[in-house]
Amino acid sequence: MVGENGAGKSTLMNVLSGLYRPDAGEVWIDGTQVHFRGPGDAIRRGIGMVHQHFMLVPPLTVAENVVLGREPTRRGLLDLEAAVDQVGETCRRFGFKLDPRARVEDLSVGSQQKVEIVKALHRGAQVLILDEPTAVLTPQEADELVAVTRSLAADGHTVVFISHKLREVLSVAERIVVLRRGRKAAEVRASETTAEALAELMVGESNAAKVASQGARAPAGPVALRGEAIDDGVAVHGVSFTVRAGEIVGIAGVDGNGQRELAEILTGLRPASGSLRLMDTEVLGASPGELRARGLGHVPEDRLLRAIVGPMSVEENLALGRHGRPPFARGPFIDFSGRRAHAASLLESWDVRPRDPSQRIAALSGGNQQKAVLARELDADPKVLVVVQPTRGLDIAAVRSVHERLRAHRDRGAAILLVSLDLDEVLALSDRLYVIFGGRLSVELAREDFDERRIGRMMLGAT
Amino acid sequence: MLELLEALVWSTLEFAPALIFAALGAVLSERSGTVNVGVEGMMRVGAFAAAAFALVMPTPLAVLLGMAAGALFAAIHAVLCISWRSDQVISGMALNLVALAGITFLLESMFGPSTSPSIAQLGRSGFGPLAQVPLLRALSGHTALTWLAAVLALAFHLVLGRTPVGLRIRAVGEKPSAAATVGVDVIRLRYLCVIGSGALAGLGGAALSTATLDRFEHNMPAGLGFMAVAAMVFGRWSPLGAFGAAAFFAFGRAVQIGLESSFPSVSDVVPKGVLLALPYFLTLVVLTLQGKKSRAPAALGTPWEPEAR
Amino acid sequence: MKRVFHGALPSLLSIALALAICFVALALSRSDVHLATDAYAQMIFGGVGDFPSFTESGRWGVLTRPWGESTSRAALLLLTGLSVAVAFSVGLFNIGAQGQMTVGALLAAVVGAHVSLPAGIHPLVGLLCAALAGAAYGSIAAVLKVRRGVHEVISTIMLNWIAVNLIENWLVTGPLRAHSEGTVSIAGTDQILPTAELPRLLSDGSRIHLGFPIAVLIALALWAWLSRLRHGFETRAVGLGPEAARTAGIPVERRIYQAMALSGALAGLAGGVLVLGTEFRFPAVLGAPYGFDGIAIALIGQNHPIGVAVSALFFGILRAGGTRMQLLGVHKSFPELIQGLALLFVAARYVWRKLLSGRAARPSPRSSEVQRA
Repeated sequence: MVGENGAGKSTLMNVLSGLYRPDAGEVWIDGTQVHFRGPGDAIRRGIGMVHQHFMLVPPLTVAENVVLGREPTRRGLLDLEAAVDQVGETCRRFGFKLDPRARVEDLSVGSQQKVEIVKALHRGAQVLILDEPTAVLTPQEADELVAVTRSLAADGHTVVFISHKLREVLSVAERIVVLRRGRKAAEVRASETTAEALAELMVGESNAAKVASQGARAPAGPVALRGEAIDDGVAVHGVSFTVRAGEIVGIAGVDGNGQRELAEILTGLRPASGSLRLMDTEVLGASPGELRARGLGHVPEDRLLRAIVGPMSVEENLALGRHGRPPFARGPFIDFSGRRAHAASLLESWDVRPRDPSQRIAALSGGNQQKAVLARELDADPKVLVVVQPTRGLDIAAVRSVHERLRAHRDRGAAILLVSLDLDEVLALSDRLYVIFGGRLSVELAREDFDERRIGRMMLGAT
Repeated sequence: MLELLEALVWSTLEFAPALIFAALGAVLSERSGTVNVGVEGMMRVGAFAAAAFALVMPTPLAVLLGMAAGALFAAIHAVLCISWRSDQVISGMALNLVALAGITFLLESMFGPSTSPSIAQLGRSGFGPLAQVPLLRALSGHTALTWLAAVLALAFHLVLGRTPVGLRIRAVGEKPSAAATVGVDVIRLRYLCVIGSGALAGLGGAALSTATLDRFEHNMPAGLGFMAVAAMVFGRWSPLGAFGAAAFFAFGRAVQIGLESSFPSVSDVVPKGVLLALPYFLTLVVLTLQGKKSRAPAALGTPWEPEAR
Repeated sequence: MKRVFHGALPSLLSIALALAICFVALALSRSDVHLATDAYAQMIFGGVGDFPSFTESGRWGVLTRPWGESTSRAALLLLTGLSVAVAFSVGLFNIGAQGQMTVGALLAAVVGAHVSLPAGIHPLVGLLCAALAGAAYGSIAAVLKVRRGVHEVISTIMLNWIAVNLIENWLVTGPLRAHSEGTVSIAGTDQILPTAELPRLLSDGSRIHLGFPIAVLIALALWAWLSRLRHGFETRAVGLGPEAARTAGIPVERRIYQAMALSGALAGLAGGVLVLGTEFRFPAVLGAPYGFDGIAIALIGQNHPIGVAVSALFFGILRAGGTRMQLLGVHKSFPELIQGLALLFVAARYVWRKLLSGRAARPSPRSSEVQRA
């Protein structure tokens, strides 16, 4: 099943797995109509759902997580030994390598996903729903998952594989359902379609043209941001890099390899040793406020946590970070009219909807929130911009708009460091890139060396 | 010396049950993910109900009704926090204020301003020959609640760690969404835990008015509910830990009362107020040392929204 | 204006509901509706002044005496309510106003009794010391929160009982106990010097004193700070989105320290006003738990300084009237029951929003993001 973000894929699957109740319509399994009153019913009817965000209890063990809800007992007590045996048996049967006694919080992302699948199979799932299962995996891990999926299907299981990565769906599925704005737009056989055709079905009309071409542009200028031997002793180890004025430098990597921490160090949110020079001034250890004053912009990864204050109005959020300066303030006082006017003009030029500066920003859609964040950060005209996961959770139109704005800002001579877990995004935007693995950066790769397979191997630590 | 120790043990065993029940109640609610700072109010309701009912029926039955009253009062907390997703601390504090003023109102309109009439205390069981042995005789002559407290703590430990329902409670307190997807009824389980928490707190209150004393006094439980919350935190949200902390605090109180009565001169050196403040101070110190590694359940204080999209 | 009314509606309805429920409870418990009506009339007249009697007799005393009683209580409720509200503005739940107030009251009692100063500045110095003591005590919770990650709800509960026990069961009964005069043994600390008493505003037997105007001025100042000043904006941003505030370059820890110190100072000030305005010594037991009441006042006032002022005045009036209710045999804690129930109803914000807007309240942004998974 493919569809844009917000097309209704997860909601539909949550109905199938009994988490939500449908307002209308019918669900049939093996020729029988079913009515689920809760996830328990769906599980009993053989539906197993692997959620995009794992539904595991971190402090519990693999075995405890897997048997939760249908625990083996002996004389009324939980039989943990039996649980370990049963889960071990399930793992063996389907060929998963997992230690049933390990705590889930100690496992890698890939292993946690396996726990999720084992959890479903252990409950006798005949229908397996995988919601965006490859979003957090490396290309290699994703390949492995595709192989597992194929073998489960060969084994007689029904698998619903949800993704917005078209090539992946084409390689794993027999039939493809396209969802658009909560409706089924098409159903096609994988052997009879192409990625381009699917993309067109997904977004409708001719919005499908994928990545805008790079176009000609001026060569990069002097180094604007230079990191040397940056090390926090925990997640980031001896990282050195440069970003020049007028270029976008990408950092690719699998989640949890130190990219988040590196971005925090660069933006003053995390202490580290080494050297960080912003326009030739040493700034390592400076506070976020000082860095902003020196011309650093920051589009943080977690929009709702770090970029916006949800209960505050759009105009207050547009002032955030610059709220002490005109036109947002006069001396110690807030300049209400100046702030309102500036906010209104930003909403206009960035096409943020609705155009109401007094609206709570939490009420805006994710795409409009992100536009507001970018409007704020770029409006300050930063010489260096650190952008982390700028398009997470946005639909295709919004993604394209964000990418265009970033390129335009680069073309105006800014240095942009792009950190993203989405390899496609890094490849599409970057002029150069580094791969981060285990807190260390690879050698830099120029655009002509961008090779998806090779980068994928580097993301797993191969050189 | 032996006599003193004996007296201390005896008075610890008298004082501890109320605190232990209430602390276990707090653990039950919080392990399932609902903050309970309303223990104080729930105890007050239980203490009053038990004392009032004991006037017209056998005391053990009244104790059960005290539990029921605590549970009923906690049900308000459950509705507010679980169904209506109110702030759990606000709800708890509101219940404390309602219990404080509401029970004062009831006390006054039923019995007069300061206490309820005295009732038949819960029966105390001697240990026959054991009651003659020095030191061991401190164990004799307590109400059944003293022993129930110890048994309940153990049983609770067993239930939480070794039974399916215990595993589910832990899962619901750590990550309700995960529990919900495997068919655990998060809402129902949380309701049960919060209401059970109120029953335990009510039992703690009833212990005060039917075992420790023989009447309801106007200021009951006089901060004991907050001390129970301290015991829960001190015991790192585990039943046995909370039991140990509550017993330790009770021992501290026994020492303070013992010193006051047998060695009045000591209170010049170590004032009563210092001893009374000690449990809270120790809890604060432990929390400070633990820092961010405290063992509070991950989903504590976060309401669960089954239909949220 | 309409928006203000709409925002205040849940609180107003909660209070109305609490008043109604308590009325029914009172009527039922005495099986006498007239008594309940009388009691409510006493509660109002006892608080806002006995207007019927005034029109009959023309004596101002029947108005000013109740004013003194209600404003002196309202001043305390307002200060502790503001204390809680300020802590909320930076995202902290200060349950410790009780402890901070106790510490402030003690300092005021000591400065009032044992430091000789001219009449004009003595009360001010006393209040300042009370505020500083409260600020220092409140800061402990902030430091533990920021440095060690100790949740402020737990730490302030502990700090309350530490303060109350150390002060009421040790200092006030021991080292600081009043010097007995002849054979009379006095509970509490020494009486404060006449120079330290907060000036009375009216001479004719009313206890209305400077505490209330001070508290109202502070409420106005806090309103201006939170809504008009950069610093207040930063404080609110820290409260509503600490990580976003940090990323935006706001010194989060400093704002937390400042707000919590201010919160403690306000609670301490309440203790100072209590001692210098009405008690004139630290009594054996501080009595009414104004610090806990502050939580109710702040939340019923929706943590808005002006709303807090209105709610403090309202409940100050009810409480003053509550003492008059005693004449009818209703315990004086009855208004506190009304206040507790009102808080309970305010706590059910979800239901109010649902009822008032006709649709389900939107979940908070954080949780909706998590749940969208």
